[in-house]
Parts: sequence; C-alpha cells; structure tokens
Amino acid sequence: MNKIEEPSQDPNEIDEVKENIEVWEDLVNIKELVLALVICSVTTLGGYFIAPNEPPKPLFFGLIGALVGFIGSSILIKPKRRFRVVKDEA
Amino acid sequence: MDVMLILQMIAAAMFAAVLYTIIGIAPGTDETAVLAPVTLVLVLTGMEPVVVLAFFISAIVAKKLTDSVPVAIAGIPGGVMAAPMVEHAMILKKHGVPDLSIRKMASGSVIGTLVAVPVSLLLANALIPFADVITSYANQLFFIGAIILALMCKNRWLALASIVPFAILIQGLRHLYWGVGVVPEGTNVFISFFLGITIGPVILTLFELLHKEKRESLERFGKKTIVLNKTKRKKEIPNPFKILTKKEVGTSAVASLVGTFTFIMSPVGMTILLGELVSSRIKDPVKKASRAISSMDALTNATYISGTLIPLIALGIPLSPVAIGPANALFNAPPVFTLDHNMHHILSTADFVWATIIGAAVALSMTYFVVVKYSQEICTFVFKWVPHEALLGLFFALVLLLAFMDAGWLNIGGVLLIGLVAGILHRWGVNYGVQFMVLYSAPWIVSIIAG
Repeated sequence: MNKIEEPSQDPNEIDEVKENIEVWEDLVNIKELVLALVICSVTTLGGYFIAPNEPPKPLFFGLIGALVGFIGSSILIKPKRRFRVVKDEA
Repeated sequence: MDVMLILQMIAAAMFAAVLYTIIGIAPGTDETAVLAPVTLVLVLTGMEPVVVLAFFISAIVAKKLTDSVPVAIAGIPGGVMAAPMVEHAMILKKHGVPDLSIRKMASGSVIGTLVAVPVSLLLANALIPFADVITSYANQLFFIGAIILALMCKNRWLALASIVPFAILIQGLRHLYWGVGVVPEGTNVFISFFLGITIGPVILTLFELLHKEKRESLERFGKKTIVLNKTKRKKEIPNPFKILTKKEVGTSAVASLVGTFTFIMSPVGMTILLGELVSSRIKDPVKKASRAISSMDALTNATYISGTLIPLIALGIPLSPVAIGPANALFNAPPVFTLDHNMHHILSTADFVWATIIGAAVALSMTYFVVVKYSQEICTFVFKWVPHEALLGLFFALVLLLAFMDAGWLNIGGVLLIGLVAGILHRWGVNYGVQFMVLYSAPWIVSIIAG
C-alpha cells in the first residue's frame, strides 16, 4: 500500500498540524465533517420541504438538494490528500 | 418496447456510467452504501422498472470497472471488492507497469460482463421451475442464510448470538411505530432500516466523536500522501482481446463462469479463492499478477451481474449477497416494490434482456475506453476535488431523507439507533450479510420465538 502514514518526527511534516481522523477508510477533519453533514442535511431536507406536495416531487427536490449540498461541500472543503508524482520510465 | 422507453434506458444508463465512474474511483466507497440509496431513490420516484434496471446494470458495470483504477494508480482500493486485488496490483506497480494493471483489470471486467450476462439469463430461466418451492420457504431461507453467513464471520459465535437481539430491535421499533401511529399497522418500515445498517459504521464513528475521551484518544493524521505514477498515454483504441493474452482471456472467462454459478456465495470470498487458484502455478511475478487481477476483476463483475439477475428473474426474492445488499431496491422498496410485487413480477423476459444489454453496453462503451485511456486524469481529478467529507455528507443526508419519508421525525432517531447497533456489530466482525438477512427474517424470527 502506498498510503504513507508518516512518523511524527518526519522533517517534512513538522509544519503540518495533525488534526485529521480516519472515517470509513479516508481522512476527514472533524469540524469540516460536521460542516458537510449540516450542509447536506439542510439542503436535502430543505429541498424536500419546499417541494410542491405531490409525489414524487418532494423526493426529486430532496435529491437535487442532496446534490447541491454535495457540490457545495466539495467547493468549501479541501480533500485531505497530498500528491507526489513519480515519473515512470516504462 | 417503444422508442421513448429505450431512449430513457440509454439516458439512465449513461447517467449511471458517469456517476459511478466518479464514485467508483473515490476511495473506501462500499458497494452497498453507494449503490443502494441511489437506486432506492430512483425506484421511489416511480421511474419505469426497466429504466431503473438499465441504470442499475450500468452502475454496477461502471463501478466495477473503475474501482480498480485507484488500486493500480495509488494502491488504495476504490471499494470493498477491489481490496483483494491490491496485493497483485502492487507487484505490477513495483515492476514499473501500473498502467498494465488498469488495462488488464478493465479488460478482465469486460470479459466478466460478456460471460455473465448470457449465462445469468440462461441460468435464471433454468431455475424458474423451482422458484415456487424456493420462494415458499423464503423466511426460513433468510434465517438459514443469516446463520450460514454468521458461521463464516471472523467472530462466528458473536455473530450467531447477535441474530435474535438484532431481530428484536428491528421488530421492536416497528411495533413502536404502529403503537404510536406514525405508520399504519402491518406496514413494515424497511428502506430506512436497511440504510441505517449500511451506514452503521459511520453513525457509530459520529457518535464516538461526541465522546470526549474517545475523541481525544483518536489517532490523528496529517494529510494522506498519494503517490501518482505519470505514464505516457497509449494512442491505440483499446481492445480487451488484445490487451489480455489468450491464457488470460481463458482464465478470466472460466472464473466468470464459476462466479456466475456460485452467485449465492460471497463475491469477495470467491474472488480471493479463484484469483489465487488460477495464478498460483505461475512463476514470473508480472505474469502471475496480471493473470490474477484480470481473472479477479472478471469474477467480481460476473458475480455482481449474476447475483443481481438470477434471483431477480428466477425468484423475486433477494437470495444472494449482491441481491440482498446493493441490488436490494430492485426487490423491496415499499410502497413501489414489495417481495410479492417487484421487478420479478412486473418485467417480462424480454424486458430483462433489453435492460441488461443496454445497461451493460452503455457502461462498457463509455467507461472502458475512458478508464483505459484517461485513468490518470480521472483519478487525479477525484482525489484533488472530491473531499471525503462531502461523500459522507451526501450519504448521511440521503439516509435522513429516506428515514423521514418512511416514518417521520421519530424514525430519524430509530435509524440512528439501528445504525449505532449495526455499526458496533460491524466493528465486531458481524458482516452486512448477516444483518441484512436478519432484517428480512426478523418478523418470522420474532413470531416463532413469541410462539
């Protein structure tokens, strides 16, 4: 596996604050996770409630709300990943 | 079948191919968790069943094609099913040929799809005469399924011991809802409980974040370093039969065939078993790894397609790990589908064939070429722009929405409770299969115990 969990004394990492935790196989920042949960929940349920009350419209609006929340949180939150590009000779 | 419907199927399949190409690459996405909620929502919107089926088939083919991409590029499985392939992909990466593993895996997927579609359709039709007998014992079969899957868990006695309490939790909530009148008596809340189990591990972690000492003792990380290999892009049009050697095509096809027949077994288990079996005699590490990953990818694709189609066409009850997990909404999504009225009862054989062919063809033609040619770019895009927080937020919100639709505000608490218990069981090694089987057999288990 290439996910490298650096030891804390790694000289390159000193300036980086370690505040991310692992949820479901990837790293998240707790505050930003809460932010994403709130954004997505509000847009989704909001969409559901403002929709005209004739099925299946509420569900559609809810779904669009979920998508809006997803895109919104993707814009606001930065992924906790760092890249190292290796040139391949082969 | 009219033209409008076919166009709708193609459009749905294209949408699924794009959506699950992105989701497939995002790391750590569990198949059930990402396929089930979206399919459920589509079923509930009242979309034509054939269109939903075309969407679903395209989604699984695209997801299975792409979840191996991050394995090859960064050594991170894009899904649970891709995990067994990491070891072999790493060998290819170590030998400096990471693009080879993508090409081999994606081509294996194509072979798996090409074998599984016709064989599943034939096998399903052969099973139809026995369907009545099998379905009349559905409750018992789900219960036996729970026991068998429990015995295969890492902590088998714990898994066995959890069956009855978990069934009581589910039935207890249902009776509470009837008692306070949020749901009419006799209506079983199902969808949201199912999703509660699916995102149980996440709900448990979220609860733990509220636990002060737990939160402070959690291991902290900086950023996850992802090593990307830059490779030159190949110019030619990819052809799976040229990318794979004759022997690889052969073993991939055989593995797919076996996988189709063993649709009732665990796909991950079969993948590990057969992948090792077909490659164990090869000495050269690169050849060995190529053989293993092409066959494994073919097999996972085949078990997904057969595990969905065979129970759907022949039985109408979800009697396979895939059917009871990711494909669940095709069988049971009240009020649209129930076990007595779902795709099995609504669609004709021709509908099944059309939806499968359109779904598979669209996903293969869109995703295969894109994956083989642009794997590097897609991977970088998803890793750079899609934060894990947003994915978790999206699925959490979908679960909230469906919980509210099922039984109002009260059920949001109910689903959190189910998720909490399911998450603990999951962490203790009681896998999803056991929990889903219990969800299905809970009314029967409780009525037998109550006498």
